[in-house]
Amino acid sequence: MTTRPAPDSRGPGRAYWRSGADGVLRLPRCTACGRLFWYPRTHCPHCGSDAIDWVATGGRGRIYTFTVVRQSPEPFFAARVPYVVAMVELAEGPRVMANVVDCDVESVRIGMPVSVLFEDLGEDIYVPLFRPAVGGAG
Amino acid sequence: MATSSLRDKYCIVGVGETEYSRHSGRTTRAMAVEAVRKAILDAGLRAADIDGMMSYQNGDSTPANWVAPDLGIRLNFYMDVLGGGSSTEALIGLAMGAIEAGMCRAVAIFRSMNGYTEFRIGGTGARAAQPVRGLDLAQVPFGMRSAGQNFAMTFMRHMYEYGTTSEQVAHVKVAHSKHASQNPKALLKDRVTVQDVVSSRWIVKPLHLLDCCLETDNATCVIVTSAERARNLRQRPIYVMGVAGRVSKPRTDFHWAHGPISRVAGYYAKDIVFGQAGITPEDVDITGSYDAFTFTTMLQLEEYGFCKKGEGGDYVSSGIIELGGKRPNNTAGGHLCEGYTHGMNMVIENVRQLRGTADDYCPKAADGVHTYDYGPRMCRQVRDPEITMNLGWAMPPTGSALILRR
Ligand SMILES: [Zn+2]
Repeated sequence: MTTRPAPDSRGPGRAYWRSGADGVLRLPRCTACGRLFWYPRTHCPHCGSDAIDWVATGGRGRIYTFTVVRQSPEPFFAARVPYVVAMVELAEGPRVMANVVDCDVESVRIGMPVSVLFEDLGEDIYVPLFRPAVGGAG
Repeated sequence: MATSSLRDKYCIVGVGETEYSRHSGRTTRAMAVEAVRKAILDAGLRAADIDGMMSYQNGDSTPANWVAPDLGIRLNFYMDVLGGGSSTEALIGLAMGAIEAGMCRAVAIFRSMNGYTEFRIGGTGARAAQPVRGLDLAQVPFGMRSAGQNFAMTFMRHMYEYGTTSEQVAHVKVAHSKHASQNPKALLKDRVTVQDVVSSRWIVKPLHLLDCCLETDNATCVIVTSAERARNLRQRPIYVMGVAGRVSKPRTDFHWAHGPISRVAGYYAKDIVFGQAGITPEDVDITGSYDAFTFTTMLQLEEYGFCKKGEGGDYVSSGIIELGGKRPNNTAGGHLCEGYTHGMNMVIENVRQLRGTADDYCPKAADGVHTYDYGPRMCRQVRDPEITMNLGWAMPPTGSALILRR
């Protein structure tokens, strides 16, 4: 009955949430200063330019920080405690938020290499998730 | 650094609060009226002397222009703002600005909430049914919603970078429970141990149940007016030396994505507020470091310079923050033990401490006669404090601060 709560896919986040359709995680990049960033915005948070394009990442990184949630008011997540929420620092630089799945929550550590996978929510939304990487952060 | 041109020109002249409970059985309107009325009486003012009113809330309270008429007050200025923990100090600064601008003469600031029976900050109750809006929509797919969840990743990174332990930080709860045991108003008056904290159940790593504050029903109020006027009122004037409001990190949304996240808003606020007051942390006798969680108290004390960055765990476990220590923190028990008020009770307590009239179990506390015996159910008045500081905190990237003197 419960499904994963959907993100707001209107606005500048649209390309992020549909990026996983082909299994590739993309990030916004400012074409004025060349920097990648996250969360998606209409303007570059580094230089203020509105010239933004989207580039493919390798989908790999390391856990910058995380938490293990043991109690949740959301029905979907209440049925799935304990679960991990992390900020993953991608090899390309920016940090993104995601759940870390396919592992024992007690094994998760800061600095742990992870790689992306996607959960298809329908309606062209693919939520990025991460799991422990085989062969390092890449 | 130049001190503020408004230093010592404004005072907190009245404070008031309702019972801290988990069963108010009343509306936020009725509670706000009681808290404001008590603060007016405390100040020795008449209702007609109040012509400004401010409050803060998150859609969970009653606005000022409904509370004022219940007290027979005609307002020249009112404003209700959205917000939580970083609002108290910010609104005191805004009240000073409104008076300085000639908009009004005395401002009552209140916060009223049924934080347990109606609208629980932990995300359950009425809050769970609220529609999710804005950027929160980018967090809900990952089950990231409550205040504890939002703070937890900052705490985890601090432990990783500096070796901070759960046992060190548990001392914040131990200290505040000791202080609450001297406070007849406190919701929890039992002293707890480090072991009690770290063996309580996990909520969200690294927060155990006893690392988290108490959702509470209550209303609170402080009254701000000019120093000139304060000198003729009932209480000893308590002067505002410096104030900083909602000072923020470079990103207020998804701040975890930017910069070192173990750095919090106090890093940016400290120069403003200490600069205005013309003092340093060494001059502060009592702190009121916001204790939504044990870790928030620790992180702010560290960031405002009461110890070196990264040494907050040592500082809070050293005994310094306990009554009888060098610089006690949240001497009424704070949000962890007295009750959760979004910051107001910590300012109220510091005002009473500076007056010398902490309302503890000493028989003549109201007259400023204290035993200074910090055993359970005894005294919580600090001996002769001159300067206090409040460190207010909302979500991880935004904070406020207030320095008061007698
Ligand atoms: Zn740019």
